[in-house]
Amino acid sequence: MVTEPVGLSNNLPIKRVMPARVGDTDIAVWRSASGVVSAWLNRCPHRGMRLSHGFVRGESLACLYHGWQYGCDNKCKYIPAHPALEPPTTIQTMAYTVVEKHGVLWVSLDGTPEIPALFEKLQPVRSISFNCSNEDVLSALAETTLTCDDGQVLSASDMQSQNILILDNPQNKPKLAVLFQKSSAANVTAHLLADNSWSIDGLIRISRWCELVRRRAEIKIPDNRRNL
Amino acid sequence: MSFKLYNYVLSGNCYKVRLFAGVLGINYDSIAVDFHPGQEHKSDDLMQLNPAGTLPIMIADDLVLTETSAMLIWMASKFDSDNTWWPATDAAKTAAIVQWLGFSSDLTSTIGEARLHTMLNRDVKIEKALADGIVALRRIEAQLTEQGLRGGAWLVGESPTIADIACFPYVALAPDAGLEHDDYPAIRNWLYAIRSLSGFVTMPGIHEVHELRNEGD
Repeated sequence: MVTEPVGLSNNLPIKRVMPARVGDTDIAVWRSASGVVSAWLNRCPHRGMRLSHGFVRGESLACLYHGWQYGCDNKCKYIPAHPALEPPTTIQTMAYTVVEKHGVLWVSLDGTPEIPALFEKLQPVRSISFNCSNEDVLSALAETTLTCDDGQVLSASDMQSQNILILDNPQNKPKLAVLFQKSSAANVTAHLLADNSWSIDGLIRISRWCELVRRRAEIKIPDNRRNL
Repeated sequence: MSFKLYNYVLSGNCYKVRLFAGVLGINYDSIAVDFHPGQEHKSDDLMQLNPAGTLPIMIADDLVLTETSAMLIWMASKFDSDNTWWPATDAAKTAAIVQWLGFSSDLTSTIGEARLHTMLNRDVKIEKALADGIVALRRIEAQLTEQGLRGGAWLVGESPTIADIACFPYVALAPDAGLEHDDYPAIRNWLYAIRSLSGFVTMPGIHEVHELRNEGD
């Protein structure tokens, strides 16, 4: 299975947890006080509560429901209702492979992370979710252009590989990278990264451009799919 | 006491006032109104006080206030000696804040309505309320994203204002209506920042930041 980008690193500070999806799988991604990132099935082994509603205690993630705490090794460390009990090591969360690279959090469900050969020195811009398919987004992208600070006009015709759209020029020095995280036929999230040529106003222009793309892409949804 | 508040615990609009009072550290008289199922806000007594038949109602000095934006401005003007929550002499900031105070009523009429439908079985055009609620969440997400690119964490300027207080409740309560925060990373970070404010108070559906409590509390 392809390794999916599930979020931008700067949207997951230390001692925080966030929800994410890889295909049909609901995931909780969290960062401990010392910075260790984990990605787990978003389900407390105790009563099934979404762990993304939980909270980080040092090097553990606690479930909001009954406070069961799980460490970075996925094992249950503490059960508040039985404070003297050392939890059996068989109580553990379902863990996936998570890698942090290029300012992006990547998750693989089958344990083999394949991070695309990206590029150094790109900065995170934003993540944005679309209520339409990847194809709808790509076709909307093809109809729009984005003007760089230096006046260069980017269009989507340049290059496309796997789930990555690179605007400007091939591999070496992209100005903008769009990473697609596909959840379903009716839902896709894009993570945007930009090189250091963009001013703050330029980054804001990128943010508004992807909203324009979303307006176009979602209009393309036929009425019979709109209610999905 | 500083003011009197006719109050309903599950109301996001009443919560704006309770939250801001908590953050400013001021005490007030709270009068519980049986909004549901009693419909007490439509009773003769309260309709005489507030012909609009809405909650909250604030008795502030000689004023009877029924719009939360007016209440927040009054509270900030009266009790925020640093003038950061409502920087009255800064034309650009106050204008920008009023933009978001206006927008906050869009949140009430979309997410707030959808929530009334989901929680209290109100007769609401739920599909439209939810679709418009997503539009409203996306507007907040876009603004917070742009503020983040500028290095800020709040809706207006570099510090929290009554714009954040006014927009917070129904964004935070969106999951009550079935609109989760999963697709909105900037909103999640902003909710966390507001919940981390000194003096923050909770309501059903909006809990405290457990991470900030001491172990064993």
